[in-house]
Parts: sequence; C-alpha cells; structure tokens
Amino acid sequence: MRLGFYSKLAVDGIRKNKRLYLPYFITGIVMVMMFYIVTFLSEMELLRYMKGGATLRMMLPLGSKIILVFALIFLFYSNSFLVRQRYKEFGLYNILGMDKKNLGRIVFFENLMSALVAIIIGLFLGGALSKVAELGMLNLMDQEIEYSFRLEAGVIYDAILYFSGIYLVLFLHSLIKIRRSNPLELLRSSQVGEKAPKANWLVALLGVILLAVAYYIAVSIENPLSAMVWFFIAVIMVIIATYMVFVAGSVAFCKLLQKNKKYYYKANHFVSVSSMVYRMKRNGAGLASICILLTMVLVMLSSTVSLYIGAEDSYNRRYPNEISLKLPVPTLDEFKEETFSHYKNTISQYVKDVEKESYYANAGISGLLTKTGVLVDQQAHAQFSFDTVSSLVYIQILPLSEYNRLHGTDYTLGQGECLLHCLNAEYNGDTFTIEGADTLKVKKVVDKMMISGELAMQMIPAVTVITDEFEAVMAPLMKYESEYGDHLAELYWNYGFDVAGSDEEEIAVYDVLRKNMSDIVIHNEDGSYYFSIDSRAEGKAEFFGLYSGLFFVGILLSIVFLFAAVLIIYYKQISEGYEDRNRFEVMQKVGMMKRDIKKCINSQVLTVFFLPLLAAGVHLSFAFPLVFRLLQLFNLNNLSLMIVVSLATYFVFALVYALVYKITSNAYYAIVSERR
Amino acid sequence: MSILKVSGLKKVYSPRFGGNKVEALKNVNFEVEQGEYVAIMGESGSGKTTLLNILAAIDRPTEGSVILGDMELSTIKEEKMAAFRREHLGFVFQEFNLLDTFSVEDNIFLPMVLAGKPHGQMKERLVPIAKQLGIEELLKKYPYEISGGQKQRVAVARALITNPKLVLADEPTGALDSKASDELLRLFGEINENGQTILMVTHSVKAASHAGRVLFIKDGEVFHQIYRGNHNAQQMYQMISDALTMITMGGEGR
Repeated sequence: MRLGFYSKLAVDGIRKNKRLYLPYFITGIVMVMMFYIVTFLSEMELLRYMKGGATLRMMLPLGSKIILVFALIFLFYSNSFLVRQRYKEFGLYNILGMDKKNLGRIVFFENLMSALVAIIIGLFLGGALSKVAELGMLNLMDQEIEYSFRLEAGVIYDAILYFSGIYLVLFLHSLIKIRRSNPLELLRSSQVGEKAPKANWLVALLGVILLAVAYYIAVSIENPLSAMVWFFIAVIMVIIATYMVFVAGSVAFCKLLQKNKKYYYKANHFVSVSSMVYRMKRNGAGLASICILLTMVLVMLSSTVSLYIGAEDSYNRRYPNEISLKLPVPTLDEFKEETFSHYKNTISQYVKDVEKESYYANAGISGLLTKTGVLVDQQAHAQFSFDTVSSLVYIQILPLSEYNRLHGTDYTLGQGECLLHCLNAEYNGDTFTIEGADTLKVKKVVDKMMISGELAMQMIPAVTVITDEFEAVMAPLMKYESEYGDHLAELYWNYGFDVAGSDEEEIAVYDVLRKNMSDIVIHNEDGSYYFSIDSRAEGKAEFFGLYSGLFFVGILLSIVFLFAAVLIIYYKQISEGYEDRNRFEVMQKVGMMKRDIKKCINSQVLTVFFLPLLAAGVHLSFAFPLVFRLLQLFNLNNLSLMIVVSLATYFVFALVYALVYKITSNAYYAIVSERR
Repeated sequence: MSILKVSGLKKVYSPRFGGNKVEALKNVNFEVEQGEYVAIMGESGSGKTTLLNILAAIDRPTEGSVILGDMELSTIKEEKMAAFRREHLGFVFQEFNLLDTFSVEDNIFLPMVLAGKPHGQMKERLVPIAKQLGIEELLKKYPYEISGGQKQRVAVARALITNPKLVLADEPTGALDSKASDELLRLFGEINENGQTILMVTHSVKAASHAGRVLFIKDGEVFHQIYRGNHNAQQMYQMISDALTMITMGGEGR
C-alpha cells in the first residue's frame, strides 16, 4: 500500500509535468531505438560475406558506442533539468513531513517508470524499424533484399543491460542532488535573483581571433595530406572558439548595444536586448553545443552524401580502365621497347578480347618539394616529420614521347628542358632540380595530364616531370636506395585495357592474370618481384561498400545528433518560458501590450534559435575547402557536386529546424502567457 | 474637479462549470478629486482587489462605470488599453515587480521606453524624481543588489515618471519593515503635497492614517468613509481603528 502511494505520487508528478517529461521519455525511447537498430545491423549475417561489409562491420559497432555515450549525455542533461524544475515540489513534500528517504522513493519510481517506458517502447520501435533500416542499407549498397523479419535476442539483452545502467546512474545522480539540498533551498531555488552578466571582453576577443585563425587554416590549406592533419586542429580550435564567442562574445555584443542609447531605448530593442544578455549568459554554452552538433551533422552528411553520389565518378577516376596493370622494369637498361612488347605479348596469351588499350612507361619517386625542386634522398633527410608532411610529393618522370603520344600533343624540348604538371601542388620556379640529377629548365607548366589510377590514388600531391632525356635524368636517381636496399626510384610499364563482356568476365580475367603474375613479371636479380593489378569491377564493390556504409552511418549518427540538438533547444525554450513568465507579467502591468510581448518573444526566440544554425552555416562554408581536400583523398574531385550537396543538406536542415522552431515556440508561448 | 468617478460598479464572477455565482462588488460608488490621497480599506474578501483591478483596467466590471479624467474605461478598446494604462496610471505593487534584467534606471525608464519617448526626455524626467525619492545613488545598480525599501522607492519612481493622472498603490507597505514603511508613507505624503493624486489599497491602519480620506469596503459596497480634515496622523489612526472595530462588530455606519 505504501509503495503504491509513492508510485502514485511519481505518476502524478510525471503527469502534472507532461511538458517536461514527454521529451525526456522521447529521448530515452529514441536512444534505445537507435541503439537497437545500429547494433542489430552490425550483427547482421550478410555483412560477413558482402563486398564492403568489412567497413560497415567496423563502423557500425563504433556507431552504437557513440550512441550510448550520447544517450548518457543527453539523458543526463534532460534529467538534471527535470530535477531542477521539480525542486519546488520536493521542497513542499519535505516541509509537509516527507523525509529525504521518501523523496528518494518517489524519484526511484519516476526513474523506474522512465526506464521501463524508454526500454520497452524503444525496443518495440527499434524492432519494428530495424527491418526498415536493414532494407534501406541493403538498398543503398545494391544488395539482394530478403524479407524475413527477426529479432536479435543478444541485442535486446545488450540494450536492456546498458540502458538500465544509464538510468541507474541518473537515479543516483538525482538522489545525491536531493540529499544535498535543504527544504528552504528546494522551495526557493528558482527565485534567486541572478547577477547581471558582465561582458568578458578578453574571452570574447580571444574567441573571435581563434575563430579567425581556424577559418584561415581551413581556407588556406591546399594539400590533402596536411588537410588531414590540420583538420583536427582546426576542428578543436573552432569548437573552443565557438564556445568562447557564444558565451562571452554574445554578452559583449549585447553590452555594446546597450551602450548605444539611441538604439537601446527603443520599445522593441529595450526589452529584447536586456533579456538577451541574460539569455545568452545562461544559454551561450547550450547554443554553442547546438551549433557544434549541427556543424558536425552538416559536415558528416554533406561529405558522406557527396561521396555516395560521387562514388561512380570516383571509381572511374580511380580505375580509368577495367583492368590496370603496373609492371616493373627492374633496371634502367631494360627500360626500352623490347621489354614493353614482351609484357604485352605475354599478357595477350592470357587475355583474348582486349578493348580500349592504353599503355605508357614512366618512373616514380617520392620526395620533399622545395622552392627549387625536390629532395629525394630519404637517408639524408629525416622526412616523415610533422613539418614536412605538407611538402611530401610524388614525382612522376615521364618520357616526352609518351606524353605526346598519350595526349596527342607535339611538344619538343631542348637539352636540359622539361615540362611540368602539378596535381594538388604548386610550383613556381623557373628551374626544377631533382636531387642528385641535373637541374632542368622548366619550359612550360602543362595543364593536360591523363590522370592515371595511380595518380588519382595518391594522397600526396604529385608533380610530373616530362623530359626528352629520360635516361640522363633517371641514371643518377637509380643509385638511391631505401634502408631495405631497394631502389627508391621505380620504373614501370603501365598497361590498362577493358575486357569485352560483363563484370564477371572482367573478374575472371583479373583472376587469371593474378594467378600467373609470377610468370609475367620480370623478376629482380635477387628473384623478388613486384606488381600491381586492379580490376574496376572488384574495386566498384569495395567503393560502394565503403561509401554507402559511410553514408548510412552518417545518416544514423545525424539522426542522433539532430535529435540531440532539438532536445537541447526544446529544454532551453521551456526553461526560458518558466523564467520569462514573471517578467512578462510585470511588463503587462506596466503597460506593454500583449501583441508587443508576443512580438518581443518571437524576436528573442528567433534569435536564440537561428543563431546556432547561422553559425553552423558559417562554419560549414569555411570548413568546405578543407573537407573538399579531405574528400580528394577518397578520389572525390567533383567540386560542383559537393557544393550542391552541401547547400541541399543545409537547406533540408533549415527546414527541419524551422519546424522544430514552430513547435517549441508554441510551447514557450503557452508557458509565458499561462496565468498562475 | 473630480479625476475619478466610480458609479454603480458591480462585478460578478460566474464559475465556468456552473456553481454559485460570486458577487465580488455589489454597488460601489465614489469619486476622487484631483490631488486627493485616498486609502481604501477592507478585510480579505471584501472586494478591494477586484476594485483595484477594475480601476487598473486589468479587469472589466459587470455593470457600472469608471470614468478617469474624461475617459470612460469601458469604451477603451483592448488594444488601446495598454497605452492608456501606461499614459494615465502609475502602479506601485506590494511585491515591487521590478525586473531583474534591468538596472534600476532602466526599470524606471521602462514605461517611457514602451511609450516611445526619446532618451533625453527620460533623463530629464528622472533627475527630480530620483532626487525626491533619494535613489540617485542606486540608479546604476540592479534590483537584487538593493533593499526592499529601496526597491519600493524605485517602483514609485517608475510609477511617477510618466506623470500619471492617478497613482494606484496596492498594499505598498505590505512587504516592508516598519522603518521602510514609515519612509515610504512619508514620501507618498510628500508626493501628494506636490499635487499627485494617489489611490491606495491597504489593510494597514498605519498606512491608511496618512491618507486624506479613507474608504471602507465591506461585502462589495463602500460601507463607510472618514475624512482627515484637520486631524493629525495619530488622531486619524485612532479614528480608523474605531471605525474598523465598529465595522467588524457589525454596527451601522455611514
């Protein structure tokens, strides 16, 4: 009977505070649901033998861990909000003679109910929607769809275990909070006068500077590999700067407005600006979090969508031919027509119908790009340090005859002259010195370069030196050896062709060639040999697996993050509503019209609401160049596609956001205009 | 000249779901002259809050009329009401109702800012009022930094800054200690001597004893009234006490 009494009080408390509890329940439900779905997908049998499934099998469990972490954070956030709002009620019970043990019982039942609702409904929805998610994923990845439905007992068990744990932590947290408080404090907690915020100009200024530097970094980096390094530094800087600007900068800005008497003492500015100071002080951190979450989602979605849509483009770039072979020429002496035709003849014994043949011979060496040329001696220069990452470069040396043949040009070069082509790099010198070789005069920097799969795959920038004196240039380079004793410079004959017929026939050819490679390839003196062979059809499945996997995980995490952002916003609105109610009552008494109050609320809510979206937009546009460089590492080089996708993502987001705004501002206004 | 004329005022609250109707005001009639200082007394439930709400144009009467200056309140449209209240009435509340987000100065400016007055004019108006109320030193502070008595003086300044026809004070000493109460009542007297009409609702005999006239409300009607005449505050206090005793004993008044 007594237990019944406490559980009844708990139910009553929940029912009376619907507005507060509903989002809390929904958060729990959605988190359980997402956890179930993602974990369910990661345990799917199909992933084991599906092309590209390996990537997903790695990423999905990571996704479910991320969801768990965020579930804890968000539930914690909304729970502490709930406890704060209900202090007063607990204070009353306390004064009426309920001791803290009894209060603890009420809290226990509340938490128990929240946990039950979240886990039961969450699992139910998760079970129902997991099939939809599975179908969506298989569809994305171009896989056969099976229509059987099943539940994973193991996943259900995990969900129950983890989320019970989370709710237990929440319960203990509220218990400690109640234990630490005294009844008077409980009764009064929401009425203590808040100090007027002081503008922290230093922090505001620092934030702006930090943001500017981060933006500069993002915009100025051209090298994809250094983009990868700087990306994380820039992200951290932007996160810190966003917090500083939102927390201190916004208050400072409002204070500046207040100093402008003409602007400030206007009916519509007066109330808004003065309450905005408080609002920003209280909400700066929350808004910054929303902004960062939004930016993350936007970057994640726009890049994964771009990758997914651009996948075909990317693998066509990566695999210009259905079959691409890179065959070594062990010594410079052998770098001649006889060797090349030997290769061609040998291969034609294995492959019958060859289409769209293309071949060329080249050499490659990697080094450090300087203002006057390139350093290649690895042993002389400690290369792979942080500072040199941005100057790492792949040098392709291409005979002029090959260049002219491939591109249909008729360049001629005099003695000691060369043509240059730069991919993702910039070189402005008049001469180009390859360490150890003669200095070449740069006759022209050419734009046209048939990008081979190999070049497309390079993470680092690539400079192609086109010379008519191939042997003279290469001879000194052949003496450089790595610490393992092999040549740093490598000579190749590249051969690419298409196979008549379907993908299956292509893969059959690929398999045959691979099996017989040891017979085809000319071995080194010591008997070792090296080759590379790629098949587009093989790669395609991998590409699709990887990109659609990324895309899918991107969508799932976006849903979680977006949900989090909405939740934070909603609670902000509600808590503001309760705090503003007093204020607006007074204003009405001193002669402010209802209509004006509504207008004033709208403008404030609008600002608070759309500031993070706006800032996220700015972040996104500055991050854009950096993200684009990064995606180049994934062979995506389609700028217009990425612009369109980013804009579309942002637009869709703005729409969802506006919808949330509509709903939450209604809730806010309902609270503010509620009569007590 | 009469500045406020209340005649035949009746207010009936009818509960939304049937039940007994409650007659908060039966038939209230009185007038307030320009420059008068009137206190309205009554027990809880006598209808004085209802009366004040109607005078403040926050609530509307069931029957009867309230004429402020030359305006009949019931003819003013809802959307004009806020502006009317702002321009013609000044309010002092028991709970001060200052806004924590504004400095003291900005709190006082609030009605003028809402009325769209230029900043220079506000400053001009503020100087003499702040001096009279002794709050010049507080202007840059925030409400949570000052005492209750100081808060109430700030609230009075806010009520006076628009130069209202009538200041309505609802139990202004209710939340103050006796020293702060005395100080506030002294200020009210001073303001009244400068020609400001004040209507105060209170059940503090001491507060009422400072007024020029005291109206007693009982069961929704003006039951009795006392004029100060040439009596001092102490004599007035005695007269009010006697009247109250008589009223609670159920004697006939008027």
